[in-house]
Amino acid sequence: MALVRTLRDQFDWPLFVVVTTIALVGVVNLYSATSASVLRSDEYIQQIYWLTLGAGVAFLVVAIDYRHFERYGWVAYGVGVALLVLVFLLGRSVRGSTRWIPVFGFSLQPSELMKIFLIIALAKYLHNDPKTDGRTLKDLVIPGLILAMPMGLILAQPDLGTATLCACIFGTIMILTNLKVRSLLTLAAAFILSAPLTWTYVLKSYQQERLIAFWERLLGRESDVLDSGWHAHQSLVAIGSGGPWGKGFMRGTQNQFRFLPDQDTDFPFPVWAEEHGFLGSLLLLSLYFFVVLWGLKIASQAKDRFGAVVAVGVAALVFWQTVINLGMVTGVLPVVGMTLPLFSYGGSSVLTIMIGIGLLMNVSMRRFSF
Amino acid sequence: MIVLSPRREVGEFRRRYKWMAAFVVVVFSILFGRLVQLQLVQRQHWGGIAKENITKTITLPATRGLIRDVRGQVIAENRPSYNVFVTPQLIDPERDLERMDTLMRLDEEERQALRRRLADVRPHRTMHRIEMFRDVSRDRMAALETHETDLPGVDVVAVPVRNYPFKTLAAHAVGYLNEVNAEDLERFRDLDYRAGEVIGRTGIEQSWEQQLRGTRGVRRILVDARGRQLAGESVLGSTRDQVRAPISGHDLVVSLDMTLMRAVERAFRGHPSGGAVVVDVRTGRLRAMFSKPSYDLNEMSGRLTSDRFREMSEDPFRPLIDKTVYESYFPGSTFKPITELAARDQGAFDPHQRVECVGYYEIGTQRQRCTSAHGDVDMQSAMIQSCNVYFWKLAEQVGLERLNQMAREFGLGAKTGIGINSEASGFLASRKWYEQHYGRYRVGYTLNTAIGQGNTRSTLLQIAMMYAAFANGGRLFVPQLVEEVRKPDGTLVQRVKPKLRRRVKVPAEVLESLRESLRRVVNDPEGTAYDARVEDGVQVAGKTGTAEVTPGSHRRGMDSSRAWYFNRSHAWFAGFAPAHEPEVAIVILVEHGGAGGRTAAPVAMQILQDYFSSRRPAKERSLPSTDTSSFGGVD
Repeated sequence: MALVRTLRDQFDWPLFVVVTTIALVGVVNLYSATSASVLRSDEYIQQIYWLTLGAGVAFLVVAIDYRHFERYGWVAYGVGVALLVLVFLLGRSVRGSTRWIPVFGFSLQPSELMKIFLIIALAKYLHNDPKTDGRTLKDLVIPGLILAMPMGLILAQPDLGTATLCACIFGTIMILTNLKVRSLLTLAAAFILSAPLTWTYVLKSYQQERLIAFWERLLGRESDVLDSGWHAHQSLVAIGSGGPWGKGFMRGTQNQFRFLPDQDTDFPFPVWAEEHGFLGSLLLLSLYFFVVLWGLKIASQAKDRFGAVVAVGVAALVFWQTVINLGMVTGVLPVVGMTLPLFSYGGSSVLTIMIGIGLLMNVSMRRFSF
Repeated sequence: MIVLSPRREVGEFRRRYKWMAAFVVVVFSILFGRLVQLQLVQRQHWGGIAKENITKTITLPATRGLIRDVRGQVIAENRPSYNVFVTPQLIDPERDLERMDTLMRLDEEERQALRRRLADVRPHRTMHRIEMFRDVSRDRMAALETHETDLPGVDVVAVPVRNYPFKTLAAHAVGYLNEVNAEDLERFRDLDYRAGEVIGRTGIEQSWEQQLRGTRGVRRILVDARGRQLAGESVLGSTRDQVRAPISGHDLVVSLDMTLMRAVERAFRGHPSGGAVVVDVRTGRLRAMFSKPSYDLNEMSGRLTSDRFREMSEDPFRPLIDKTVYESYFPGSTFKPITELAARDQGAFDPHQRVECVGYYEIGTQRQRCTSAHGDVDMQSAMIQSCNVYFWKLAEQVGLERLNQMAREFGLGAKTGIGINSEASGFLASRKWYEQHYGRYRVGYTLNTAIGQGNTRSTLLQIAMMYAAFANGGRLFVPQLVEEVRKPDGTLVQRVKPKLRRRVKVPAEVLESLRESLRRVVNDPEGTAYDARVEDGVQVAGKTGTAEVTPGSHRRGMDSSRAWYFNRSHAWFAGFAPAHEPEVAIVILVEHGGAGGRTAAPVAMQILQDYFSSRRPAKERSLPSTDTSSFGGVD
């Protein structure tokens, strides 16, 4: 009874409404995005199942005080890493990378769940390491190792997008701490210096091609429109041709005539932007903007360090994933595989975000308890 | 009892939230700005590309106009050529090529060409169709069409190509086509040619190109990313935007008479090289334009190999040259009427005054030989027997400038204005020209000019128009080939009226007496063409000519076994028929045919007999005499 009252009084309705809106709009958009394809046309139904399941998991997450998660932080982290190792043992290869393991007839993508486990692990570490004076590079070694193990495994799949995302979440959380400016500058310098090495040893040739294509486009050269820049180009065409009002639901030609690649996973936003125009884009952008800022607000009101770090971590997850995806489809960032939270099709992705949102809401609600 | 960890101070984080929020605002503002740029500022640009993406424009070629002769016989028409196009992107290199191979029964060379060309395609052009085989057989076309759905990357497209049922006949006048090249695209930019289209290269096909070609149409269809056609035309706008029907070119009715042309061809059997012109003296319309040897227009309009072209251009009989308008010759004795008219124009020379021909003429120390000793001759008998001595005498009194002036009056030395095949203007050498080129003027030059040698050169067409003017009482016409321009449904677009170049300033009775002389050249037993006459046929008037060829200058590097032939004189006959009521003028030139009376005159007679007997429901079609064994009077 107490739980029900708590839920009613302390429930974060704005977050709930906004997240539900994104999810529903995503399903509607997925219906249009997959209607041209015979094989994928029931994906929107699958997505509804996953969203329902995700909502159930999220409520479960909300119901348990987040401090319990703090207790089992390392366990969660360990399970995540173990699953990542399992990928190499059981995983099946799709388009040159091994990311999924079969679970009860479904394909689970451990790297998605790992994002949440990483956030919890980092939160736990920072929770137990309260420092008031400035942190230096030495203080980054242990969190760095916490990041490095899963990130290395993810890179090996290879999944550059998720690995980058993990690094971004880590970076955001670390910036939250009282890191000294000199240490920050050293980090930045190290990053810049390591870029050529990353280019040579980490990036695959198709990834290099995409980056080159991106660079060429920035310089205004579109000579490679039919090769590696094809995806990015057709995405811009879809968004731009949507104009202010859009072409109407199910009437986007770039989508319906299959000029857009991966319109269910990586490129659902162009489908939306083409059919619903600037107005639709603005609506969606505002919703994500709200979720991120709301997440930061929840973090700032959190009663303890764990809650604050988890909230910032989830906000960072949503923020970076949204920004990288939208940046990619609008041509301001190079093409990397990155889904748009809740909007893209994908069970693991939906589940991960729903758990994240559940954690966020959990922190939001627990600010009232003492 | 679950033990929860104690709460920890969050003060360390406080100062960062505002910066994070600010960063979020900045990043979302960038995305917002980008969306404004893409969807509001550049919406037309991207909208255009999106529309282009799903639109494929198919060119609908226009049907080229037909060319018919004056009897309605088709000279140039169109037939479908089945061309095979391949879209590399839609081709499975193993399976589809195998299938094409089986269906088309490719030979080894074709198989290799196919693979080589597919391998050469640049990556970003793999969605562009390339033409692989041209004008494939009906069997191959049918085999591919039947399996069309299995081979989405292979298209058979029917393209109209030109067909010339008369093949080599009148080839120079009709002309041929071939594909526009880069230079044409540049030169005719305003005329909107596209690569792959054809353009008239010679003859009527070239000169009447803009009437014949028509306007191509377009059809826009909806395609998906893989180039497959889709339904859903509403995206493209109204039906009117989708199709613009091609407009067929205009048909031409030309003045040529292909039946007459066949007669000309028959009459030229046994003569390897030469030309003929038949013109209606009442209108200036050309009934026959014959140049031998010729070439097959279908071959020239198709894929002519460079070997074949070189072979033709090195042929000593020069098949590529239009001998009726492009080449000029010494007119020989066919020029003598001009000398006569020049003399009578002056009025000083009495046509009845007699001159004694002893077989030669002395100028200074030189002795110029006549064809024989003609004895006492007056103007008429001199013309009939083609006595050089008489005309030399005339020329001495008339002078070079007056000869040239009369020649110019009848159109020599200037283009006739036929408007095809870069016409030669011929040449009339003036006194000044001789002084410049030969150091000084000699009277011998004038004497040579009087008998059509010297440096006077004219085309067959010029001589034909000149004799037409003799025949019609002094009207010099502009020669015409096209009589009517019609739409494909038969509607008249334009009727080309006969065009008079000038009315020559020669009294009618002077021309009348000239015509009588020319009639007697053929019909008087003393005449140089008497042996070629046809007893019961139409009466012909005319003049023979034997034009000397500058020895050895004809072709360098010619071996001596051939040289004798190429040093022989050209044989001329120019005249008109019927002699009393002329309808047509005719000019025959048999290259290296020797004496005009013996070689050229019978050819002319045969043609004219054929022409008049076929035109009139003849009661008795007498075959013309082709007996050339007896010696005619040598001119």
